[in-house]
Amino acid sequence: MLGKLTWADIPLDQPIPLIAGVGAFSIVGLVVIYVLLKGWGPYLWREWITSVDHKHIGVMYVFLAAVMLLRGFVDAIMMRSQQALAFQAPGYLPPDHYDQIFAAHGTLMIFFVAMAFVIGLINIVVPLQLGVRDVAFPTLNSVSFWLTATGALLINISLVVGEFSHVGWLPFPPLSELRYSPGVGMDYYLWSLQISGVGTLLTGVNFVTTILKLHAPGMTYMRMPVFCWTAFASMLLIVAAFPVLTATLAMLLLDRYLGFHFFTNEAGGNVMMFNNLIWIWGHPEVYILVLPAFGVFSEVFSTYSGKPLFGYRSMVAATMVICILSFTVWLHHFFTMGAGADVNAVFGILSMIIAVPTGVKVFNWMFTMYGGRVRYASPMYWGIGFIVTIIIAGMTGVLLAVPPADFLLHNSLFLVAHFHNVIIGAILFGMFAGYTYWFPKAFGFRLDERLGKAAFWCWFVGFYLAFMPLYVVGLMGMTRRMQHYDNPAWYPWLLVAAAGAAVILVGIGFQIAQLVVSIRNREELRDTTGDPWDGRALEWSTSSPPPPFNFAVLPHVEGTDAYWLMKQRARERGAPEPEPAYQDIELPRNSATGFVCAFFAAILGFSLIWQIWWLAALAFVGAFATFVVFAWRDRTEYRIPAAEVARIDRENRAARRLALAQMEPAE
Amino acid sequence: MSDTDARLHLHHASDHAPGDEPVSGHEIAEGLLGYIVGLFLAALITAVAFFLVGTSLVWQPSIPVALLVLAVAQMGVHLVFFLHITTGPDNYNNVLALAFGVLIVGLIIVGSMWIMTNMNHNMMPMNMMHM
Ligand code: HEM
Ligand SMILES: [Cu+2]
Repeated sequence: MLGKLTWADIPLDQPIPLIAGVGAFSIVGLVVIYVLLKGWGPYLWREWITSVDHKHIGVMYVFLAAVMLLRGFVDAIMMRSQQALAFQAPGYLPPDHYDQIFAAHGTLMIFFVAMAFVIGLINIVVPLQLGVRDVAFPTLNSVSFWLTATGALLINISLVVGEFSHVGWLPFPPLSELRYSPGVGMDYYLWSLQISGVGTLLTGVNFVTTILKLHAPGMTYMRMPVFCWTAFASMLLIVAAFPVLTATLAMLLLDRYLGFHFFTNEAGGNVMMFNNLIWIWGHPEVYILVLPAFGVFSEVFSTYSGKPLFGYRSMVAATMVICILSFTVWLHHFFTMGAGADVNAVFGILSMIIAVPTGVKVFNWMFTMYGGRVRYASPMYWGIGFIVTIIIAGMTGVLLAVPPADFLLHNSLFLVAHFHNVIIGAILFGMFAGYTYWFPKAFGFRLDERLGKAAFWCWFVGFYLAFMPLYVVGLMGMTRRMQHYDNPAWYPWLLVAAAGAAVILVGIGFQIAQLVVSIRNREELRDTTGDPWDGRALEWSTSSPPPPFNFAVLPHVEGTDAYWLMKQRARERGAPEPEPAYQDIELPRNSATGFVCAFFAAILGFSLIWQIWWLAALAFVGAFATFVVFAWRDRTEYRIPAAEVARIDRENRAARRLALAQMEPAE
Repeated sequence: MSDTDARLHLHHASDHAPGDEPVSGHEIAEGLLGYIVGLFLAALITAVAFFLVGTSLVWQPSIPVALLVLAVAQMGVHLVFFLHITTGPDNYNNVLALAFGVLIVGLIIVGSMWIMTNMNHNMMPMNMMHM
């Protein structure tokens, strides 16, 4: 009746995950009850859960990423404290539990923190920067989000019901095969990623279409802000790479569920083929995450330097070259697997070549600041911290791309230090910069600067304390994923690393405080003009937060830095654009399709993991029925009358006229 | 600036997704004809492939090459008649997307074959090395 699920699967003998899990789920439960008692349920349902507005979906993605960052960081603290305690001692985490922690940490951080944060920012910003009203397929966008949330939910359920994968953030066979991982942990991993992978692929399709097809008049490709270009490259990579991930995981699922032999040791399976396939996805994944972060910094550097981005065209070219080249380097993740000297040499050289366009970008950012009137707001702090940090990450990366060096460093903590150097120093710093930069656009008030800068310093110093020691112990020969060790030379370095994690914890504390304080002081921090940073791209031309239709009339774009040009013209004229003729605007109606689909997908995933076949069949039928109902609905849009559009827009225009009057007139 | 390159202009009135082109009455009949021709060609190529494998009329070693050629032709038929990929200016995005897809799939397949043959060769158990 319930497949493999029994009472014995509740890990009552392992207090740590159980208490953490029950604690987390009761907090969520209490929040839900509080919301319902307060009568906020209908509001949440209308404005958020069923919303197909890209801005709201983006905010939900970022919220998911933030919550999962806390969860992933708890795992990180546990690992750091375990290694600080486990010198010639067992520490407090048994090996079986430690394995699940690094697997859960890696999986959550990559798929549900970094991916969700990147996709969230892209959702909020790209349609605004393109000067359009929504993405190409708004309801699909909501489906994407809810499927991603389903994946995250399933992984967190594994805390309390069953176990999680022991294999690491990538499920390498033969360890991940049924014979060596007979438990449900591996299945939790696989089904979570399959479900959220569908969501990610749909996001890719949605945004490739949006960026290619939807633009304000005059917004040609070569006038798009660099963030749009990087989002485009990232989404192209999703469309090209995620099917490879899905197919690879599907083959592993066939091995585990139906006795296939794709990746087994026996019966003609080929373990190395898994390595090959997973890294065909895995390397582009790095660029899926980092390119949008580069895009954020491009916006930040030019805005706070008061200058157009230096080398716009070389920036676009570098982005697209990286997009293609990222499919030509995947072997550098398994130099040591025995492909031979020719193959290793070719992929080593290609890996070094891909560093060149990234170097071009670093110079472009620095030249953007050069000669500009730089304002040191907190996004610039993240930006300058990023430049320093990414240079170190790039150098250790090129070092790892030398095959003979990699034979020494492969799977050591040197590697772990390198990829955290990229992931934290570039991706996470980029996301935090974007979060601070676009927060007023999404919510209508700015974030507290002092606490933001304090958070930056803690993250920056904490990162160096936590990860520079790992380069050292890696060079001394310490391998990754060690539950305990006996080498006294490593011990002091690992204590420093634990201290670094503690400093990062303080940084996260400042970020939470920043959010709370800013919400409390929102009236002083209110962004009345819609353009708090003297911005350059179109998102700053509408009010903060933007109306549901984003733009009362689609803006006319006359060059790169479209809004900057408009402001300049208004200053010359001494008056804003004359009032346009308003028209009715049609917008897509809310839809529960995404939420209901995800509800069934969660049940489907859970029942497949526990092999409750009847429930799986039922859930599948439910999901399909949802889709059919959606396809057959006949009212798809609602209309905002011209008078209402005019009323909303006039407020925005009045605020801008005031701002214009306060500015000095153009010389 | 290439901004002025007409083909790069978005909102190109005629840049349509395949199958999404505006149609008038007699164009529907024309479109239907296209699908029927496509179906016929696709079926024909399939039939020829099966015929080739079973027959002794052609020189045996040439059959794999012939099958390869037919497979490529089959893809061509699908692209032209069903996916409506043409070389006209209204298809700029679609052709580029196709080229990107072909490039990536090519990189993946060629790269994987090269890597895996090398690996299989180098990692062969010692007693099989001399076979
Ligand atoms: C916030 C501070 C962070 C700390 C202190 C931290 C710490 C750690 C530690 C101690 C490990 C295990 C190293 C080992 O194998 O011995 C690890 C692994 C890993 N981390 Fe982090 N991490 C942090 C943030 C992140 C972020 C933001 C990401 C990705 C977005 C990430 C992705 C990973 C991955 C993929 C692994 C490999 C897991 C595996 O071995 O399969 N980490 N991290
Ligand atoms: Cu790589």
